[in-house]
Amino acid sequence: MKVKILQWHAVASWTWDAQDETCGICRMAFDGCCPDCKFPGDDCPLIWGACNHSFHLHCILKWVNSQTPQPHCPMCRREWQFKG
Amino acid sequence: MAFDLDALDSLGSEAIDEILNSWAGFCACTDAIIRGNGDLSAGSKLAPLVASLCKHGLRSLVEDHFLQALEETFKTNAVMMFWQHFEAFHNSSPSEMPNVHIIEDWPQTVLIKALEEICLEKCYQEKCLLILVHSFQSYEENLSLETGDLNLCESNLMSRYQLMVSAVLLATLPSYFPEILRMYFKKKLEELSTVIAGVSDDVCESQNEMDIDDNYSKKNISKDHKLVKDIGKVVRDLRSLGFMSMSEDAYASAIFVLLKSQVNDLAGDEYRNPVLESIKEWIQAVPLQFLHALQSYLGDSVDYDNGSSGLKSPLASLVSSFPGVNMPSELLVRWKLRLEYFAYETLQDLRIGKLFEIIVDYPDSSPAIEDLKQCLEYTGQHSKLVDSFISSLRYRLLTAGASTNDILHQYVSTIKALRTIDPTGVFLETVGEPIRDYLKGRKDTIKCIVTMLTDGNPSGSGNSGDSLLEELNRDVENQEGADNDDNINSDDKQAWINAECWEPDPAEVDPTKGSNNRRKIDILAMIVSLIGSKDQLVNEYRVMLAEKLLNKLDYDFDSEIRTLELLKIHFGESSMQKCEIMLNDLIDSKRTNANIKASIPQTSQTEQGENDVSLNLLDATIISTNFWPPIQAESVNIPTSIDQLLSDYAKRFHDIKTPRKLLWKKNLGAVKLELQFEDQNMQFTVAPIHAVIIMKFQDQTSWTSKNLAAAIGIPVEALNRRISFWVGKGILAESVGTASNDHVFTIADGMIDANRNGITNGNSEELSMADEEGENSVASAEEQLQKEMTIYEKFIIGMLTNFGSMALDRIHNTLKMFCVAEPAYDKSLQQLQSFLSGLVSEEKLEMKDGLYFLKK
Repeated sequence: MKVKILQWHAVASWTWDAQDETCGICRMAFDGCCPDCKFPGDDCPLIWGACNHSFHLHCILKWVNSQTPQPHCPMCRREWQFKG
Repeated sequence: MAFDLDALDSLGSEAIDEILNSWAGFCACTDAIIRGNGDLSAGSKLAPLVASLCKHGLRSLVEDHFLQALEETFKTNAVMMFWQHFEAFHNSSPSEMPNVHIIEDWPQTVLIKALEEICLEKCYQEKCLLILVHSFQSYEENLSLETGDLNLCESNLMSRYQLMVSAVLLATLPSYFPEILRMYFKKKLEELSTVIAGVSDDVCESQNEMDIDDNYSKKNISKDHKLVKDIGKVVRDLRSLGFMSMSEDAYASAIFVLLKSQVNDLAGDEYRNPVLESIKEWIQAVPLQFLHALQSYLGDSVDYDNGSSGLKSPLASLVSSFPGVNMPSELLVRWKLRLEYFAYETLQDLRIGKLFEIIVDYPDSSPAIEDLKQCLEYTGQHSKLVDSFISSLRYRLLTAGASTNDILHQYVSTIKALRTIDPTGVFLETVGEPIRDYLKGRKDTIKCIVTMLTDGNPSGSGNSGDSLLEELNRDVENQEGADNDDNINSDDKQAWINAECWEPDPAEVDPTKGSNNRRKIDILAMIVSLIGSKDQLVNEYRVMLAEKLLNKLDYDFDSEIRTLELLKIHFGESSMQKCEIMLNDLIDSKRTNANIKASIPQTSQTEQGENDVSLNLLDATIISTNFWPPIQAESVNIPTSIDQLLSDYAKRFHDIKTPRKLLWKKNLGAVKLELQFEDQNMQFTVAPIHAVIIMKFQDQTSWTSKNLAAAIGIPVEALNRRISFWVGKGILAESVGTASNDHVFTIADGMIDANRNGITNGNSEELSMADEEGENSVASAEEQLQKEMTIYEKFIIGMLTNFGSMALDRIHNTLKMFCVAEPAYDKSLQQLQSFLSGLVSEEKLEMKDGLYFLKK
């Protein structure tokens, strides 16, 4: 007897390849979304800073925009720079 | 009678002699007339005797004596004979019913004959009485008194006589006589009804050719009909004997019996056609025609009597005193109302008795419901309906044997049917209560409701008319219409319109219940209220949706999207948020899957071996775990070829979607595979675990369950459960192995070919992968709850150790007070109760008198 696979429909979950579980700003899970978003994933991406801390893009943008003149990372207080 | 003693004293002996002579003569004469067998010649002698007696003021004595003599004769001659006619019937009826049927014909002949005889006798006696009246008349003419007095005296005497006749007859009336009358009328009416039915058929046939006035032709027939004449004669005779009310009773009850059987015939167990109209037509056609004919016949005869002698019974005069034309119509109108009410009531009782069956096939039986509605409007006996329906519900539906699905379907049908009967929903509220209470006690209610909500066209039992999805749809349409209205109307205008539409609550409303929630009968709202809260329903729906989506082989989820849209409109967007994300995951997966496939370099097929599977075969559903219901992850060792594919797929995903990565849920999904035997191929769609099991048999045709479980990496129990799928299909054969609890599975090659052939024929069928209990890939809502509640178990145990025993609501309140930190206690009292009863059954707690305490 031989088994021929005609189609294999698998199930997987995605996750952000980040060190942390939750966003340090909104305290929501990275795999969820920021409070302003409805859909996780592409609609509410993560962003990494030069200090290797990650946040929801929307969260950190709000933070950066409110910090003048020089924004700092909310976690380590280093100068905030988007990781290239 | 008062004697004037002075007058007696003043009489001379001459006068006394005269009186005595006249009296003796009068007595003899009276005897001669009354018992004279038709010889009225003695009448002429009566006048002078009467005159002389009257002269002495003995008129009342004369009258009394004469009437008494009449009574004696009537009693001995006529009445005895009259009753004798019916004795045969009386003797046979109570014991030997068959006899009655044999001689059923005789009441009409005997009755007519007996009535004729007694009426003849009565007629004769009336003539005698007239002679006396004439004697008085001539005496009074001599005294030249006013004639007005004369008529008075005549009618006075006649009425006394009539009274006497009725009294004598009624005093000797045997108890079975009314029954005889009833039988007679029933028989006659049945004959008549068949005759009329025949006639109206004829009329219907001839109507095509000539435009005949329906009523006219029917009336014509029945007026001159022999049957009507017979009946009319009997009724008239009975009336003249003072049996007016009895005869009316008799033919009324005969008509009612006939009507009842007619209603039963027409309505019966037929719910798909309206019957009320045809019953009304029948009333118009048969009983009313009959009554009309009877009235006109009797009306004529009374007139005739009036003209000839002025004789009429005091009871009959009630009828004849109506002016000729109005009399029948008014009576007929009254009769019509009576009959229609009776028909409504009969039909209503019939329908109410069968209401359960009617509602079972509701959409088809709506004519019967319409009929019932009309009947109830007329009779107003709604409470009867409620009581009877509730009791039949309790007896037939709300039992352990009925499946929740059936109860729900019946509930929906009940709502729909009663909504037609009573738009205010008052009765529905009462009727629905036992069903609601019962359903609340069932565990699978939510599941069934969600299934009903989501399955647009259930392939199995139950018709699509019951589907709640349809209701959702309609609801949406209604809401859209209402929205438009809102846009046009300002709030004030709307309020004004509402105010104008206001109607007081029906009288039957239970005043202790508020009237706010009664206005609109919304099936969905009623069903959801069964569950208790919207959240529970949404949660259950989410679990079912997850189950469905995860077991899909392709990316076909249009119907789910549609259902979700409808549910969003009904339950609000925010509560369906998670479900929306789930569907969105599917949409994203489809896109991502296409992107990944596009990134595969198009290698030629020949490069790959037969056993290898290319990435083209692999599809993936990529989910956002946080928004899905908890998924039961089981580790399973996937064959390396497939595992390779999976990691390749994951790598490509990572390339496209950095910095996101995939975590495979290897036990979930669906696999379509083909088993290739030497002689035949078979296709299956199975869960991955099944595929993994069967693939192991490629290299090794026989496995013990222990070894196989170890190879696949799942517990032996799980393996045994899953492998039974293949055993059931006849692909694998099971035999007892060397160790007692070890089984050996072998490929059943060629062994049960017949069995396999059966499957091959149906190999296109989609095999459901989660049909077995406990195989669901998604934790059910109940299990979720159980999981969440276990956190609080420690709290509860601790509490009970400190306090000894606690009541349910105290535990609830304490948890609410102290468990505020993550995860906050947000369960309902019912959820806590079910959890606690779970602990009781695990023998961790005990419960007594509503108090929980630790098991010692």
